[in-house]
Amino acid sequence: MNLWRKIVLFVSVMGPGIITANIDNDASGITTYSVAGARFGYALLWTLIPTTIALVVIQEMVARMGTVTGKGLSDLIRENYGVKSTFYMMTVLFIANFGTTVANFAGWAASMEILGLSKYLMVPLGALVIWILVIKGSYRAVERILLFACLLYFGYVFSGFMSKPEWKEVFHRTFIPEMHLNSEFIMLSIAIVGTTITPWMQFYLQSSIAEKGIKKDQYKASRLDVLIGCSITDIVSFFIIVTCATTLFPFGIRIHEASEAALALKPLAGEYAFLIFAVSLANAALLGAIIVPLATSYYICEAMGWERGVNKTFREAPQFMWIYTVMIVFAALVILIPKAPLIFLMVLSSVLNGMLLPFVLIYALSLVNNKKIMGEYVNPRMHNIISWGTVGVLTVLTLFFIISFLIPAGGFYG
Amino acid sequence: MPFFGELFVSEILKKPVLDPKGEELGRVKDLIVVKGEPFPMVSALIIDKKKKGFHLPWRDLNIFNKRIISSNIYGQDLLAYEFSEEDLLIARDIFDKQIVDANGAKVVRVNDVKLEGFESEAILVAIDVGMRGIMRRLGVERGGEDFMRIFRRDIPFNLISWNYLQPLGPKLSTISLTVPRQMVSELHPADIADIISQVSRREGVTFVKGLDVETAADALSELETDVQAAIITRMSAEKAADILEEMPPDEAADVLSDLPAEKAKEILENIEKDEAEDIQELLSHEEDTAGGLMTNVYIAYPPDTTVRRAIDLFKKDAEDVDTVYYIYIVDEKEKLVGVVSLRELLLASLDTKLSDIMHSKLKTVTPDVDEGEVSAIISKYNLVALPVIDHEGFMLGIVAVDDIVDRILPPAAKRKRRTV
Repeated sequence: MNLWRKIVLFVSVMGPGIITANIDNDASGITTYSVAGARFGYALLWTLIPTTIALVVIQEMVARMGTVTGKGLSDLIRENYGVKSTFYMMTVLFIANFGTTVANFAGWAASMEILGLSKYLMVPLGALVIWILVIKGSYRAVERILLFACLLYFGYVFSGFMSKPEWKEVFHRTFIPEMHLNSEFIMLSIAIVGTTITPWMQFYLQSSIAEKGIKKDQYKASRLDVLIGCSITDIVSFFIIVTCATTLFPFGIRIHEASEAALALKPLAGEYAFLIFAVSLANAALLGAIIVPLATSYYICEAMGWERGVNKTFREAPQFMWIYTVMIVFAALVILIPKAPLIFLMVLSSVLNGMLLPFVLIYALSLVNNKKIMGEYVNPRMHNIISWGTVGVLTVLTLFFIISFLIPAGGFYG
Repeated sequence: MPFFGELFVSEILKKPVLDPKGEELGRVKDLIVVKGEPFPMVSALIIDKKKKGFHLPWRDLNIFNKRIISSNIYGQDLLAYEFSEEDLLIARDIFDKQIVDANGAKVVRVNDVKLEGFESEAILVAIDVGMRGIMRRLGVERGGEDFMRIFRRDIPFNLISWNYLQPLGPKLSTISLTVPRQMVSELHPADIADIISQVSRREGVTFVKGLDVETAADALSELETDVQAAIITRMSAEKAADILEEMPPDEAADVLSDLPAEKAKEILENIEKDEAEDIQELLSHEEDTAGGLMTNVYIAYPPDTTVRRAIDLFKKDAEDVDTVYYIYIVDEKEKLVGVVSLRELLLASLDTKLSDIMHSKLKTVTPDVDEGEVSAIISKYNLVALPVIDHEGFMLGIVAVDDIVDRILPPAAKRKRRTV
């Protein structure tokens, strides 16, 4: 095959991997990276490399399953592991994704507040618009616009450069790991992994690939798509950390939210950096708030065999519509309650996501090794060693993650 | 041979099977199903003892209900069972799989299977696709009923009779009935397209292969081009050719133009010669031009045809033509000279010639005209179809309004698999 044909083939297949990667940098992702950079400077940069490798290993597997079977992940789990496993997994997925939706609405509220718009106006408005978009089935166009707006993320790259970091030091600390025996440090490094590799993303990627109908012989191109997507995600993460590390860390500015990062950047890095952070956060939050509830309803209905689809009415597809509606309405309400335990909810959502991840990965790995399903496309031996290793490490990390949440900070590592 | 009323398969899975003395032989692991008349029936139980599978034929059972299952034979007479892909097992191959409900025209997922006693056989009568089935599998059916009673509500049974089911996998097809296939053929093509768009491409192909070519062609026409291409490429060239022959040539050309060149060529070679020539001619035009949109199936008569003769011819010709509202008048060299609407034809006196009633100033386009311009002309002059002629005035085909509508409106009516 000559180069030109290769390029044409790639363009026809590309999309799912890159899109999934962009959605991956949602409100909670941006928050985690900003906080990490402000709190520990460049010290956490190195975690991005193992995270990227793990992300690529896992998403490649999921993409391969989507290509070979043409089915979604929840579909495959239901068909091969029965109602019970599926039901419990979907229940946890629902709660965890509800938390993720809340986090995205929180990001939306915060970004609107710093742009000078009241959250009591913008959150209900946002929720209503999102809800109507799906009910009317016209969300596709909006999704495309928002995905296009993800190009804004390259703004982070600019702001990274504009903050004029010590590049020598940045690269040094990116490639040489360092550990601090400090509970906050360990927590944040795990949070970076946890926010980058999420359960619902695996479902999302596999469905988009199946939906696109990518054929087995196009698989290599699809793998490239995944590889590029994962790299983009982490390049963006890298620059968010670098920006916050260069501008905020030396002044000892501590932040807890991405919106605080935006505000803190204003006097230090200028109006431009502030806008990039605020608008990107709003965009990421809105995209997440559309896709997470919608994807959740799809996976649950697909697994349980309920009618689904954005072009259906409440009467035709009651479960689908209600899951979606409940997630949006309640997530928006939670944000509007004064003094709502937002932090608690987000922590709960991260813990549930963390608990779910090993299960999703173990199911995915055993499915991808099932000859009956995958035929000759099962994992090669070497690939299996890497995958199981990744799953093992992630499981241990998430265990730490959960334990550290359950034990008050400082009490565990001293 | 046991007689029994009815039960759900999930109610007996993992239940002990007893020998004549009441000793446990093992636990029910699965049930083997074979084709039966009229419904598929259970041929044997697979029981599981100490992680080993045993085969217990149906005729060796003594009692079979959800409380007790016992057999006529003892443990030493049981034959070991090796799980084989040849056998069709209820729990392994039917549970949790997707299946088409031909009556409701939708894809459903099997939560449970209902058996019924019929002339000493256990036959598969229905599948459970409702909440009850899920709860039963989770072991909380009773709890759910109690819970719903608080709200004075019942959990409805949601069963679909086996004779409405059209399987999606090749394996289940071996025990499918012929009734659902007929029912599927009677569905609206848009509903069939909806079903195809909801399942994986591979299942979609199995499903389309099970349809008669005419239904398959109608349903395919309702799908998005990339889905059409995905389905067609996964079929043999002969089968694909059969289906494409049933489609109007312009749609067949659209499908072919989205396929890899080799596959398209292979299929074209299998299509009947005349039809293949029509398609090939259409294929030579760019997709978003009048040439790409047009069909070369239309009604055209010579100018000296009488109205009487034209109506007779029309009655014969119109059967195979989609757009029949205009009768084009072409001279002996196939040059387009005029048009008569169907209404004008019917209202004219029978002995006039077409050349006397035709309009000779008519709107035409050349094949390279952009689709936007084509739709503008059709819209401005309120046409049902617009003739396409080459630079010398020879008639090539027509662009019908329904072909252009699909291009300028968002394709809401077309079905594409939408998961997220």
